Amino acid sequence: MKALSLYQDNGTLIHRVDPISKLLYIAAAIFIPVVLTGFTAGLAMLGLSLMLLVLARVLRKVVPLIGFSMLVLISVVIIQGLFYAGNRQVMFALGGVHFYREGLLFSAAICVRVLNILCAFALLVLTTRPSDLIESLVRQGLSPHFGYVLSSVLQIIPQMTGTMETITDAQRSRGMETEGSLMVRLRAFLPLIGPVVMNSLVSTRERSLALEVRAFSSRAQKTFLNEERVSTSNRVIKIVLLAAMAAAVAWRVVS
Amino acid sequence: MKKIVVEGLKYRYPLTAELALNDVSFEIEKGEFIGIIGRNLAGKSTLCQALMGLVPHFYKGAYGGSVTVDGLNVAQTEICELARKVGLVFQNPFTQVSGSKMTVYEELAFGLENLGVPRAEMMPRIESAMALLGIERFGKRNPFDLSGGQMQRMAIASVIAMAPDIIVLDEPTSQLDPQGSEEVFQAIQALSRQGMTVIMVEHKMEKIARYSDRVMLLDHGRLVDFDTPERVFSRDDLAQYGIAAPIFARICQGLGIRTPQTGLYPMTLDDAYDQVVNWHE
Amino acid sequence: MNKIEIRNLVFHYTAGEPILNDISLAFDARSTAIIGQNGAGKTTFVKLLKGLLKPVGGDVVINGINTSDATVAALARHIGLVFQNPNDQIFKNKVLDEVMFGPLNIGQSQDEARERADAALAMVGLAGRINDNPYDLSLSERKLISIASIVAMNTEIIIFDEPTIAQDFSGKEHIKAIIRDLVAQGKLVLTIIHDMDFVAETFERTLVFAQGRVLLDGSTREVFAEEEVLRQAHLEPPHVTQLAHRTGLPGTPLTVEEFVREKRAQGAMRPVTP
Ligand SMILES: Nc1ncnc2c1ncn2[C@@H]1O[C@H](COP(=O)(O)OP(=O)(O)OP(=O)(O)O)[C@@H](O)[C@H]1O
Ligand SMILES: Nc1ncnc2c1ncn2[C@@H]1O[C@H](COP(=O)(O)OP(=O)(O)OP(=O)(O)O)[C@@H](O)[C@H]1O
Ligand SMILES: [Mg+2]
Ligand SMILES: [Mg+2]
Repeated sequence: MKALSLYQDNGTLIHRVDPISKLLYIAAAIFIPVVLTGFTAGLAMLGLSLMLLVLARVLRKVVPLIGFSMLVLISVVIIQGLFYAGNRQVMFALGGVHFYREGLLFSAAICVRVLNILCAFALLVLTTRPSDLIESLVRQGLSPHFGYVLSSVLQIIPQMTGTMETITDAQRSRGMETEGSLMVRLRAFLPLIGPVVMNSLVSTRERSLALEVRAFSSRAQKTFLNEERVSTSNRVIKIVLLAAMAAAVAWRVVS
Repeated sequence: MKKIVVEGLKYRYPLTAELALNDVSFEIEKGEFIGIIGRNLAGKSTLCQALMGLVPHFYKGAYGGSVTVDGLNVAQTEICELARKVGLVFQNPFTQVSGSKMTVYEELAFGLENLGVPRAEMMPRIESAMALLGIERFGKRNPFDLSGGQMQRMAIASVIAMAPDIIVLDEPTSQLDPQGSEEVFQAIQALSRQGMTVIMVEHKMEKIARYSDRVMLLDHGRLVDFDTPERVFSRDDLAQYGIAAPIFARICQGLGIRTPQTGLYPMTLDDAYDQVVNWHE
Repeated sequence: MNKIEIRNLVFHYTAGEPILNDISLAFDARSTAIIGQNGAGKTTFVKLLKGLLKPVGGDVVINGINTSDATVAALARHIGLVFQNPNDQIFKNKVLDEVMFGPLNIGQSQDEARERADAALAMVGLAGRINDNPYDLSLSERKLISIASIVAMNTEIIIFDEPTIAQDFSGKEHIKAIIRDLVAQGKLVLTIIHDMDFVAETFERTLVFAQGRVLLDGSTREVFAEEEVLRQAHLEPPHVTQLAHRTGLPGTPLTVEEFVREKRAQGAMRPVTP
């Protein structure tokens, strides 16, 4: 089992921003468009997230994620474009089927919102070491046990991939064909499931043993190897984000 | 001072029929270097885990008798409390990795963070443990990207960094190269001379004979013998317990050489050398 | 034809950090030990033979098949590897299923697979455990299961990566017997191992790996005579040989019996001093 993760160690400016600020950014990215309802706010936010992803040089990693969610989103666009309750004005017709303006606008808003959330989360996950995220949450008072559970959840996909690789190696080493055509790989997938689940259960138990002997449950005040990053720039980021959210609320109330 | 007192310890894992430890009693002084030997399944690892409280707290099962470590009754003390005094290096280093740290350096810090060791003190402790085990070069490496032996070195270092009073090592050199395992034995001996109590399970009889103050022979969960290496390894019923004496003793036995003062076979390279070099048929 | 041929093999995990540098070797029928410092690249090397890793440069040819041109599964008919860590190898919930997995996959009939599995389990001394769940077994038993799983495949080439981990005296004797038996059947056996006494008693040929190269390659006796070179590679000669060297006994004895015989012969020759 490998401690893989989605994290990309590019060492950019974005990587040095502390995890709490990034969490706050996610909150802002969700909150502001909701408060400001309209289309542009969401689009602007999405633009900002994409820009930050480019800055962090992780855009390439996001593309497959976006691609996958597109599959779902396109179906949303089609369904809403055709059947949205408020549909009045026909925008265009395709092979005799009418798409309505209201439905398309509505679904576009949904798309922007989903992509927006996706990119904001991607920014956190791809540029933050999971251990750093947990550590800063524990510093903020989160229980270490809960932190550990959270980190296991964050790492569940990379961990499963690691276990699958190990078991695949064990299987092909003993003559089971796992390489080649899609059919072969699909056929190899089924016999993987049982062992992966079993392996995960066993290693969870072993891991908790490893944690216990390293005093994980100790009630002593924990200390941290890595120094807390309390730079002014990080504080400024937080203040700006909070201010932006407050401004959005104020704008909404006033207008 | 008695560091460890075990009295009439009996233990059975859940859902098993046989006792893994059967009426084991012994005492260990502070700073002693104790070797544990015995065939596979004799109960060595179980005894190690009983000193740390994993038996019975983690495994549950049927438990009798008592284990007292540094005045604490293990059955009534939480594992995390015992972890401040006792360090345990697992038999399989792979299962010792915390899995929540992304570099070897942080992996070593894990135990210290949990103990609440101040940051300033942490770094010299980690660095000296890494140097002791020869893994300085891998500080930034992912713990899972190490070779088997390197991972075992990391597992030992991560426990030594916690500076326990008592260190229990379950076959800690099984994957180390010959010089590496010699270095580990020397390092552990140095720690024991500084007052750390050492308990080491090992199948390398030559090393046990050379480094331990006393040797514990286990078989079928029972304590067969607990005495100096010379006496334990000179028993004529060793084969019955699945043990072969150190090679040096076997050579001397083959030549019919005994140490004149004790009448026992020489156990170590140095002792064997002294006797063999002057030997004439 | 040699069963394994390696030409100018180069490998690294991360570019710029070479692990194996230009290794060329051939393996014949002699049983061979591979020894070397931790991190020398031994496990990496055998994973390349097995096809699990592919060379960055050079060729690995197994029974005439270049590993770069074949799947691992196809190579598995020719070459078996017992992993260093049994946890990486074992994945079934029943010992018998685990041991029969390989044989069935490479085309043995149900009966033949069962027969070979039983024989292999008997050889490692675990015949009575066929219905156990491997996850309930101890490390030493799991290591033996992983050995039996490969032996049962009856491949022409068998590689052991640290087979004696966690084994007691009798476990090691079992493994020695297995290796001798495989060699007697004409199979090519390679073994990575840190136990020099075991090497001395078991293998004809020994290779010393150091920093991605083969530092020494010769008969086991020749290699263990090179005490200086061994020390450079973080190794040491077997205990018997160490004592022989210290006491000035000639001929690099490798086993207790050899030592005793040599010493007696020497004693008989030397005039007894009063
Ligand atoms: N988790 C467990 N659950 C049930 N039984 C166990 C467990 N661990 C060990 N045992 C059993 O307890 C007995 C003692 O095992 P233990 O692992 O202590 O032996 P050991 O001397 O360390 O052996 P080895 O040399 O193989 O490491 C054995 O019969 C074993 O099968
Ligand atoms: N997945 C990996 N990624 C990066 N480096 C690795 C990886 N696996 C091993 N290494 C490195 O490659 C080198 C060779 O490792 P290998 O496992 O082949 O050593 P080995 O000779 O088998 O050692 P040991 O005796 O400790 O098992 C080591 O320095 C190791 O740290
Ligand atoms: Mg054990
Ligand atoms: Mg290895």
